[in-house]
Parts: sequence; C-alpha cells; structure tokens
Amino acid sequence: MADEEIGETEVATDEEAAHPFFEGAQLPPDAARRLAELEDRPGHKGMFTSDLSVNEFLLIKEVGFHPVGFVMGSSIYHLGIQTRRWSQSQELAKLTEAMYNARELAMNRMDAEALELGADGVVGVRLDVNYYEWGSDTAEFIAVGTAVKAEDGKSYRNNQGKPFTSDLSGQDFWTLLQTGHVPLGLVMGTCVYHIAHRSLGQTVRSAGQNIELPNFTQALYEARELAMTRMQDEANELGATGIVGVRLEEKTHMWGDHTIEFLSLGTAVVKTEGEHQIPVPQTIISLDG
Amino acid sequence: MPPSDLPEAATERLGHGAWSSALSVPDFASTLALGLEPVGFVQGYCVMQWSWYQQGTTAPFLGGYGQPVANAGSYSEVYRCPHGMVSAEHRTFGYNWEQDWLETSWAQGWGLAYQRMMEEAEASGAHGVIGVLDAAAPLAGSSTIEYSIRGTAVVVPDSPRPSRIFSTFLSGARLAKLIEAGYTPVSVVAAMSSVQMIGYCITRYQMSGQANMGWLGSVAGVSSIAQVGKAQSAARHLARAKVRAQLGSDSLHGAHLDQSTREFGEGDMAIQCVIKGTRVRRFKDFNPLPHPPTVVPLR
Repeated sequence: MADEEIGETEVATDEEAAHPFFEGAQLPPDAARRLAELEDRPGHKGMFTSDLSVNEFLLIKEVGFHPVGFVMGSSIYHLGIQTRRWSQSQELAKLTEAMYNARELAMNRMDAEALELGADGVVGVRLDVNYYEWGSDTAEFIAVGTAVKAEDGKSYRNNQGKPFTSDLSGQDFWTLLQTGHVPLGLVMGTCVYHIAHRSLGQTVRSAGQNIELPNFTQALYEARELAMTRMQDEANELGATGIVGVRLEEKTHMWGDHTIEFLSLGTAVVKTEGEHQIPVPQTIISLDG
Repeated sequence: MPPSDLPEAATERLGHGAWSSALSVPDFASTLALGLEPVGFVQGYCVMQWSWYQQGTTAPFLGGYGQPVANAGSYSEVYRCPHGMVSAEHRTFGYNWEQDWLETSWAQGWGLAYQRMMEEAEASGAHGVIGVLDAAAPLAGSSTIEYSIRGTAVVVPDSPRPSRIFSTFLSGARLAKLIEAGYTPVSVVAAMSSVQMIGYCITRYQMSGQANMGWLGSVAGVSSIAQVGKAQSAARHLARAKVRAQLGSDSLHGAHLDQSTREFGEGDMAIQCVIKGTRVRRFKDFNPLPHPPTVVPLR
C-alpha cells in the first residue's frame, strides 16, 4: 500500500510569535480590562472571581492563600496531518510538536493573566481541546484555573519566575501542603503516534490464532514512555522532586483510529525544607448516605 | 517482544530525575503516612491478535448438529431435544463448553503486561507497586486487544531489597487499613473464564419468548432458562477456581467479578467472567479499631 498523504502540517508558532498579541505577557484589551477591574488599588475596591467551590475556597484560605481571579488562556491551532507510512508504526513528530505548542501557548497566556494579577500560583487548572464545525482540522486549546496569592507575602513562584500551575482541586492543594510538598507546575508530555496497518498476508498467516503482536506492543509502549519521559523532563527543568496525580490520556482526535495522541499530565512538586508530620487520618462514619 | 526487553525510553525514564506517581493527592499523603515513598509510574502492555472463534468449532455453523471441540478436563455439557424431529430448523442438540484456548490467550496477554510492569518496578528499585489499574480494550480495529497494567512503584526507605516485589490494587487509606487489620499485600491476581453456549430448541424458545406454547409443557410461563443459568454458573465457578489456584494458602481481598455476555445468534452466546483482587497474607493478629465517630458533612 502506498504511503498516505492526507495533508500538510501547519505549525503556526513562528507566525504567531510575530503577532503583537502573542508577545511576552501582552494581553488582549478585554482581558486586561477585566483583570484591571479585579485589582485592589487606591480608589478602587477590588474583587476576585474563581471557579472554586465553597469548600475549596475555605481550604485554600485555611492554608494561607487567597484567590485573586479566574484566569484563562487559549490558542486556536490548525492541525494538519503529516505523511504516514501505511505499514509502519512511527511517531508523527510534527503533529507531536503542534499539539505540544498549542497547549503551551494556552498555558503561557493563562500564566500571563495570573502574572498580571500578581498571583503566586494557579490551582484547579483544566486543559481542554474543543473542535468547532467552522474550522476543519482546527482545534481550540484552552487552559483555565483560579489564580491564588499567598497571604504571608512569601513568593511561591517557580524557578522560572512564573506562578505555579496545578490541576489540583482546593482539597488536594490543602492535602499536598500538609505532606510538606508545594506544587511547581502542571507538567505534560505528548507523543502523536501512527499505528501500522497489518498487511493481508500478516492477517491471513495468523488467522484464527490469539497471539501477541510484538511490533504493536513495542510501538505503543515506546510512544507512552516517550510521553512520560517528556513530562518528567519538564518536571526536572522546574527542579521538582516528584510528580503527583499522573494521568495518561489517549485520544485519536480527528485522525482516525490508527493515529493516537498519548498525553501524560501531572503536577510537579518539590519537598519543602524541614520535617513534616502528616496527621494520622481519623476513621469516621458519614451519615449523609 | 521478548518479555524482559523493556523499551529503551522506559529504562531511561526510570533511571533518573523526578519520580512520577499516578496516585491522587489524598492517596499520596496516605502513602507517605504509611512510610512508603513513590519512585515511579510503572506500566506494562501487550497487544494481542484476538479472535473469539476457534478453528474447528463446527457447532454454530451446522444448525446444532456439529460437535464443539472441548478439551479433556474442561467443562462441557450436552442438551438433547425432547421433541424428536420437528423441522430442519429445530435445534435437536445444545452445547455448553469451556473455551480454554481463549482463557489461555487472556492469561498470556494479561500476564505479559503484568510481567512488564513488574520489570519496570524492578528497574526502579521498588519494594512494591500500589494502586494497580488494569484494562483490556480493542486497538485500532476489532481484531486486536491491548492489555494495559499500570501502577505506582514504591519503596520502604532504608529497607533492603525484597526477594519479591509486592503488588496491589489498593492504595492510600485503603491500603493503610488493610495493613492495620493485620494483612500484607502479596500480589494482584486475575483470571478469566469463557463458556460458549449453543442453545437447543427449548433454550431458543425460552429466549425468544415463545416458551408458553402448550406443547412445551414443562417450560411454560415464567421459568428459569436452565442452559443459560448453567453456562453462567459454570463461567463464574471456573474463574473462581482459577483465582483460587493462584492464592496458595493466602486470601483474596477486594474481589471484583465482572461478567459479560456476547450474543452471536438466536439462542447462542459466549459468557466471559473475569475475577481479580489482591492476594493478601496475614502477618499479625487483628486489633479491633477504635469506634469511629459519626459525622454529617455540610454539603
């Protein structure tokens, strides 16, 4: 079977980087206006917005943080499809790069909003991909979360001077701090992989047998390990000692069932100095049914 | 893929840098409180070509007159029609039989994935793997199944390497409670059984809602479908026996039974039963827990 050539990959990073909207921490005018209204300054009483539940709000306050605003970033990206060999399992490097860059752009824009609010971190980050009918092969990558600031004036930003990001809920954030760890950043690794089609001869030779297909096992194993390694590399760059809550997601997006994106996500953490005694959990019986 | 040949990326990932863990934060906190530390997210996979049918099985294709191939020692039962010759479509024989070739394939796929995960744990210097999750799902088409097993490798700081790494589906507070109750996890265990059923005339009438025909007499009205009941019961019994064979003198904790049925013709079906759980061993006497207080959460 001849190679499939479905389209060209468009990696729009360079073009986008040249656009004034994407330079540094410059925000869209509407975002800047919204964030300015949240700030507490002379002559203007500030307020915060957040998607925290009341319980989450309570726990975040309890560990000495205050929500300063609901922040978001998005990136609309055209995802082309690069040439794939019909009978070969291989990483589609350009697609991997595109999926990675699109999410990074969304995350960076969310960081920029958090920086604008003077936040130390962003909790409850959700990273979604949406598809629209108006854009063929186009996806919107969106990152949202609640920016928080430490009330003791101490900085919790990471070694890159950015607010920490994490997909932890308010409850998980509270629990993590009790263990003597602090979050450094939401880290991720991705790998878009094309799974080979089996030839007619291969299918016929093994018809009626339930046997391992070692090449497939090896290829998918490798793809997941690459995604995990990339995630760990991000954590190492942040100086993390570990990653908690690792999730390994697998999606075919709009590429058909032989092309899969393996995405690993987790929150990089570092152990704080000093001994921490984790409270012994108490056994209870809940009467709420 | 040779069983001991981990991908190069796995060896590199587990060798250095930050540890990773699939534990939720509450489970992570409970794990630390228990004196265990995570060292890495570990995983194992196996892609199998999968077919539900065995070459040589003629029963489904000859209107019930073909003979299924049941291996010696396997479960099988024959059901005979009480009516005599009625028509060419009338099923005069019915069969229930264990598909042990399918069970062997499942055990191979699941076992290889588990073995690879444990090799990753070994490479990371772990004492055990907690919070194990397993899955089997079709991959890129219906003729392949991928078995995946994942977990978080943990160590007991300042302790010597064990002769054998433990594994458990439990993590966090549930693992802590198991140990508090005097049990230690040994390994995860799982087994699958498969029984195929080719329904004879009475089973087919009952399943199609025609069992109240007067001349069928004994199966009129609401009644159990004996052949289906026997097939389901046999599948559960076989899976239980396979798991029990893996336990030795230990116990099974958190047994989970998942039974599914695939119908592939009127009155014909395959019943699959998977049982899994954590093999546990008692290491100390149980001390009754203090009476827990009752609480009402303010939601």
